[in-house]
Amino acid sequence: MSDSYKICTKLVVDSSYPDVQFDEFGVSHTYNDFHSNVKKYWQTGANGKRHLEELVLSIKRDGRGKEFDCIMGLSGGLDSSYMLHKMVTEFGLRPLVFHVDGGWNSELAVHNINVLVDKLGLDLYTEVINWQEMRNFQLAMFKSGVPHIDIPQDHSFIAVLYKFAREHGIKYILNGGNIASESVAVPSEIFYWGTDLVQIRDILAQFGSVPMKSYPFSSILHHKLYLRYFRGIKVFKPLNYMPFVQKDAISTLQRIYNWKPYSQKHFESRFTRFFEGYWLPTRFGVDVRRAQFSSLILSGQMTREAALTRLEQPPYDSELMRQDFEYVATKLGIDTDELRGLHEMPKKFYWDYRNRNNFFKLGEWVLSRIAGTTRGGAY
Amino acid sequence: MGPVSYSWYNSRRCILSRANVTLVDYGIGNLQAFCNIYSRLNVSIDIASTPEELSCAKRIILPGVGAFDWAMTRLIDSGLREMLDDLVLTQHVPVLGVCVGMQIMAKNSEEGVIPGLGWLDAKVKHFNHNNLSPDIHFPHMGWNDVEPAFQNELFANIIDPRFYFLHSYYFSPANLMQTLATTEYGIQFTSAAVSGNIYGVQFHPEKSHSWGIQLLRNFSEI
Amino acid sequence: MLRPRIIPCLLIHNGGLVKTVKFTDPKYVGDPLNAVRIFNEKIVDELIVLDIDATVSNAPPNYKLIGELAGECRMPLCYGGGVKSLNEVENIISLGVEKVAISSAALADQTLIKESAQRVGNQSIVVVIDVKKTGLISKRYEVFTHNGKRSSGVHPVEFAQTMESLGVGEILINSIDKDGTLSGYDMDLVDLIRRVVTIPVTVLGGAGSQTDIANLFQRFGVIGAAAGSLFVFKGKYRAVLIQYLSEIEKDQMYLLDISDSPLS
Repeated sequence: MSDSYKICTKLVVDSSYPDVQFDEFGVSHTYNDFHSNVKKYWQTGANGKRHLEELVLSIKRDGRGKEFDCIMGLSGGLDSSYMLHKMVTEFGLRPLVFHVDGGWNSELAVHNINVLVDKLGLDLYTEVINWQEMRNFQLAMFKSGVPHIDIPQDHSFIAVLYKFAREHGIKYILNGGNIASESVAVPSEIFYWGTDLVQIRDILAQFGSVPMKSYPFSSILHHKLYLRYFRGIKVFKPLNYMPFVQKDAISTLQRIYNWKPYSQKHFESRFTRFFEGYWLPTRFGVDVRRAQFSSLILSGQMTREAALTRLEQPPYDSELMRQDFEYVATKLGIDTDELRGLHEMPKKFYWDYRNRNNFFKLGEWVLSRIAGTTRGGAY
Repeated sequence: MGPVSYSWYNSRRCILSRANVTLVDYGIGNLQAFCNIYSRLNVSIDIASTPEELSCAKRIILPGVGAFDWAMTRLIDSGLREMLDDLVLTQHVPVLGVCVGMQIMAKNSEEGVIPGLGWLDAKVKHFNHNNLSPDIHFPHMGWNDVEPAFQNELFANIIDPRFYFLHSYYFSPANLMQTLATTEYGIQFTSAAVSGNIYGVQFHPEKSHSWGIQLLRNFSEI
Repeated sequence: MLRPRIIPCLLIHNGGLVKTVKFTDPKYVGDPLNAVRIFNEKIVDELIVLDIDATVSNAPPNYKLIGELAGECRMPLCYGGGVKSLNEVENIISLGVEKVAISSAALADQTLIKESAQRVGNQSIVVVIDVKKTGLISKRYEVFTHNGKRSSGVHPVEFAQTMESLGVGEILINSIDKDGTLSGYDMDLVDLIRRVVTIPVTVLGGAGSQTDIANLFQRFGVIGAAAGSLFVFKGKYRAVLIQYLSEIEKDQMYLLDISDSPLS
């Protein structure tokens, strides 16, 4: 390790995260930021419960006479599964539950969605993204050399969410984002804005080869501004108003639904598992677990020692990683040599392509002043 | 290791290949399925389509699907017969015949006219000879239970063994001691056979999910 | 004892998976490779994949896709769609597919069936019989080809018997009228065909619930129960979600006293 390597003394983010700063005690700014700015949005006690109850009242009131009173996406992952369970069984909400199939569902995800929806007696909606177009988009992202290659899946989720909300006249979106496990974010140069259409279109123009006829694109202006501020669609993150401890949530879901846990966050999509567990660490040197575990340390669910121990092992089984590598190549329609070539090509970032990063940063600043939110994040 | 490509394997010289398991490529059988399974198990496997490539095999799998005569003709045409006889009968290299690959190890079959390899003193017969009820249809097609007759490494660690069958003829050894496992389909027939280094299974381990994967793993450790 | 088979059936149209209703109105269901992978992990008995464009467009089989699907399957795979020559049959088998399904070509060219069965073995040749009820006043069953578009004037019973005599290893009865309706199998049709052939039979078209499959087994004993919509759609909004039976649910099916079920 070089002299300039630093790791936070309280958390496990280190200098591999480009925008992390350390103070004179070796503590990262994310730690300090959590305590000064973020914690106040995390209300797991009586305050939180009251807030949630008020929220539920408005949702129910506005939803009277309608088929659904709110909407939420179900990926099969822990956050959305637990949120669905709580909001339906404890608060009696009637959500439109949807799932976006990008062609990478793991069997575990499909099983979990199935058992939840069955036991809760809900009717599921799905949107199946045209695979040829999704593949085209994903391959173009790989070829561009940028880190944020999971945008095709992320963007489609956002677009479908707002599409369903608009079509069904639903005013309330329930989002599984939470401080308990996501307060520390992955650097923005790695997880770039998923809705920067200028960037997306530039990359597709340069590296895509299939016309994107049915893929659901959504402009940030459309959904963040028009739908949210003019049509009055509101987004809530209920998990921030209740105790949310991963271990307990998992055992509750296992017990009631026979829900099956994943070996790591976001592993419900085979592609995301490959992306976060292999591609990002080995090509860009960024291990998203540092952010995830740091968040858990801050919420008291994990000790720093335990996090450090886990970080010594690769994110997932190396044999499975090898199989995923072959599977991803096959799915993308390229051979493993070509995928290896893409893995080794010179690194590019969002600034190497047309982008509206400044506009997005301004928007985020404005919204944080008006509404106290952060981008796509924990609160 | 990337996906298996036959040409890559064909170009390897014997001196380099001491793979754990060698698949005989004589033009039939689901070679890719075996390769995929062994690749997942991290067991080295190579494919032999010439006698030289076959000559250093540590363990041999003789796959097969289709009719007896067609399989025997393909085997004879492949030029591998002599090397196979030598490896199996003289050098006692472990060999696993699968489906028709097992059947051709017999002396002959009612399905065809060409004699088999004769490695085992057995005949291959059609089920119909046993005057079965008309409810029993042929080919024998689907998942059926396999009962080992005695403990053997091939069936180690397989709970509740069941495998996929797809055949109309069955292997009938002269010596009942060679019946490693039986299956019931109208009659109790030999679904797996063994004689020293020679193993045969009538079913398709390469298409029998985890039961088959375990059996193939076991074979790679024999 | 031999278990009856429960088989998901996937339809391919323009390289993607679709589901139809009465052979029309294909709804996009997603990527075939990931679907096959999930079915593999659900430990399904067997899988049928049919390319519904191929005969109509007269295209050759998509060997690349077939190879990829076969590579994923740890259970037997039956592939069909536009197969019309011995060469194509052999190529498909050599890619690691256990069975080749032939439909329209079986009616047009009986020597193809005979030669294919001889070449690759009868256990690897499946004939798909697409059946619709036709007639204005008295309805009778008729075999259709070209993805349900051409009537043949042939009765399925007669066709099934001919196919068996040519060496076919399995008959797949596909009810066009029941396709995608989730209203139950056409048991009468199955009965007609089951009586006249001695080879295994698989039924497709109409399965809407596990009860439909159980009923099929109860009545016919060991038989193949194939289904498309049942394993791919969920709920009243036809959400696309791959499903199959669990081990326990399958065992409950088999507990039916199969050996006593008479053909009568």
